[in-house]
Amino acid sequence: MRLHIRHETIYRYDRQVKHSVQCLRLTPRTEAGQKVLSWELQAPGRRIEQLDAHGNLVHLLTLDTPHEEIRISATGVVDTEVVEDSSPSARAGLSPLVYALETSLTSVDESLKDFAMGYAVPEMDEHQAMRLAGAIRDAMDYVPGATAVSDTAAHAFGLGRGVCQDHAHVMIACCRLQAVPARYVSGYLLSEHDDHIASHAWVDVWLANERRWLAIDVTNRVLGGAQHCRLAVGRDYLDACPIRGVRRGGGAESMQAQVRVSADALPRSPIGGRSRLLQQVQARQATSQQEQSQQ
Amino acid sequence: MALNEMFESDGTVRPHYRAYAEWLAAMPSQRLDEKRAEADSLFRRAGITFAVHGEATGTERLIPFDLVPRIIPTAEWDWLQRGLKQRVTALNAFLQDIYHEQEILRAGVIPAEQVFRNLQYRPEMQDINVPMDVYAHIAGVDLVRAGAGEYYVLEDNLRVPSGVSYMLENRQAMMRLFPELFANCSVAPVEHYPDLLLDCLRSVAPAGVRDPTIVLLTPGAYNSAYFEHAFLAQQMGVELVEGQDLFVDDEVVYMRTTQGPRRVDVIYRRIDDDFIDPLAFRPDSMLGVPGLLMAYRAGRVNIANAVGTGIADDKSTYPYVPEIIRFYLGEEPVLSNVPTYVLRRPDDLAYALAHLDELVVKEVHGAGGYGMLIGPRASKQEIEDFRLRITSDPSRYIAQPTLALSSCPTFVESGLAPRHLDLRPFVLSGSDITLVPGGLTRVALREGSLVVNSSQGGGTKDTWVLER
Repeated sequence: MRLHIRHETIYRYDRQVKHSVQCLRLTPRTEAGQKVLSWELQAPGRRIEQLDAHGNLVHLLTLDTPHEEIRISATGVVDTEVVEDSSPSARAGLSPLVYALETSLTSVDESLKDFAMGYAVPEMDEHQAMRLAGAIRDAMDYVPGATAVSDTAAHAFGLGRGVCQDHAHVMIACCRLQAVPARYVSGYLLSEHDDHIASHAWVDVWLANERRWLAIDVTNRVLGGAQHCRLAVGRDYLDACPIRGVRRGGGAESMQAQVRVSADALPRSPIGGRSRLLQQVQARQATSQQEQSQQ
Repeated sequence: MALNEMFESDGTVRPHYRAYAEWLAAMPSQRLDEKRAEADSLFRRAGITFAVHGEATGTERLIPFDLVPRIIPTAEWDWLQRGLKQRVTALNAFLQDIYHEQEILRAGVIPAEQVFRNLQYRPEMQDINVPMDVYAHIAGVDLVRAGAGEYYVLEDNLRVPSGVSYMLENRQAMMRLFPELFANCSVAPVEHYPDLLLDCLRSVAPAGVRDPTIVLLTPGAYNSAYFEHAFLAQQMGVELVEGQDLFVDDEVVYMRTTQGPRRVDVIYRRIDDDFIDPLAFRPDSMLGVPGLLMAYRAGRVNIANAVGTGIADDKSTYPYVPEIIRFYLGEEPVLSNVPTYVLRRPDDLAYALAHLDELVVKEVHGAGGYGMLIGPRASKQEIEDFRLRITSDPSRYIAQPTLALSSCPTFVESGLAPRHLDLRPFVLSGSDITLVPGGLTRVALREGSLVVNSSQGGGTKDTWVLER
């Protein structure tokens, strides 16, 4: 499937920001199942790029002239296909075991532990993973604004509500409780529903028997597929989120993001063209901004 | 019966303590009392205090300094030095391997699980090349003597080991208080430690940098070791900076100065990994430098110690260190490990649970002597409480036999009495591997106590390595 993606983010600050540094994971991963035909990142300031530990392309922006807003846009075309048996462990040279450890965002409490143990299996496979994902989705309504970016898996699970980030963290936590490696995936989703944001998050679950990662979109109760475009993976949201920044000064901030994903079918694809979708996301977005005290 | 560093079991003075013992015998006790008071005021004036965990916020305490030195004979030091260099060389090779090819895992010497399912393994370091392949530039290896005097390594501190300023200040104080002693006993100097440290840091500057700019990165004045940070920076003649004094631009780290930005090549950091870069590690850290990890990955700046050294000094890796030495160096270890039961292993767990009253049990991720059980000194209740903690998550614990630590005469309320000791020499690794003869001797001031941590009421002594 050929996905046309446009993602714009604007930060506005109440006061002038003296210095800011932004870490962007806004370029689709080069890996089996997706091919980047074109991609353009527009952002102010000086920029360097590197691959991080998880094989994500990272851009570091430095802005050291006073500014009151930052506009970042990512635009491009990506071909995606469902890859049944790629060996995704080669996507980054890291051992899958790295993704079996609890992080603060995927931390659990007794109630989440009890829930997860109800789905414990001797060997994780596609069927069991989907069963777990379905149970999580049954237990957690999709409610935008119900949680904050810094909420843990245990917290969101306790609320019984959350967004894709929370569904992903809870799924990851449940896998790790059984010593099954699982990782966070950030990316875009082609969706026909307006209530699911297109800047999306899902998970990869490690199937040790088959030696491969299985992508599962918990929020939508589906396997990852051609409608998903993968930007970054990591141990949790913090490793993979599209924008992570630190600034000096600026006071309060507001953030506006707009993601548009549309598709036209590849010549041999059985699925016809899809309608264009437009989504607006405000306030809560994949970002973590921190203001550093000025001294 | 624990070995006494100064006396043989029949009460005669050991040869290497003879000159000191004669001097001490000739010293009127009133004069010694005066000297103790003088020492107190010396340290207070120097501002050497230590913030204590678990006490009211802001409590700062003077670390008690004891006037009786710990003395190590020449031959013993030569042997120790050989063992320390061997151990640190192997641990650096281990870190290089773990963050690159991982041959030791493929050879099955250490289970992969042991490394990768440990928070101290930092995926961020995978495949990053560091200058000279050195990770632990400064190692503070804790040694104890037990039984008839065998040395054991208690732990390898490879993250941000502290305490070297006490080694230096203790020597300075002793020389001021008792200059005549140093005329009579040939004590090897330690004062050049800051020079060696500076040489070490200069030698690991990024390739192509001829006259590197070095800074010492401190978490700030509220850190318990801030005195040491300021002291070392001043002694080396390098800038003492906090995170907000540095910034990253185009893969280069700069320091803000009154003359404008100045490029930084080597950062001697005294901040934990978690806080060093809010864009890579804990996002709430106000202490770090945003983007530092990317400059580091690009090879434009070096960080001492490297990020991720914790995987080599973690208590769960410790039992493997003898094998690590054999694997990388093809040599038998000079220094012994304390025999260790790894409670993740069912057999070890069963043994430990049956012998809790004899063992020291430590938390794998603990530090500072808090999360530990000292079986022989614990009450029945304490043992039972700890048993529950262990059985709920055995993999978090290791256990070791209680060692009869050596002791040394120490001034206490009632006069001179033996108190237990340990020793932390500081090993510097750069283009060379060096150490000053000596280290920090810590002493447990409470009678019978085996815990020497300054946060737990320990004191310090000057450490003498004799030159002949």
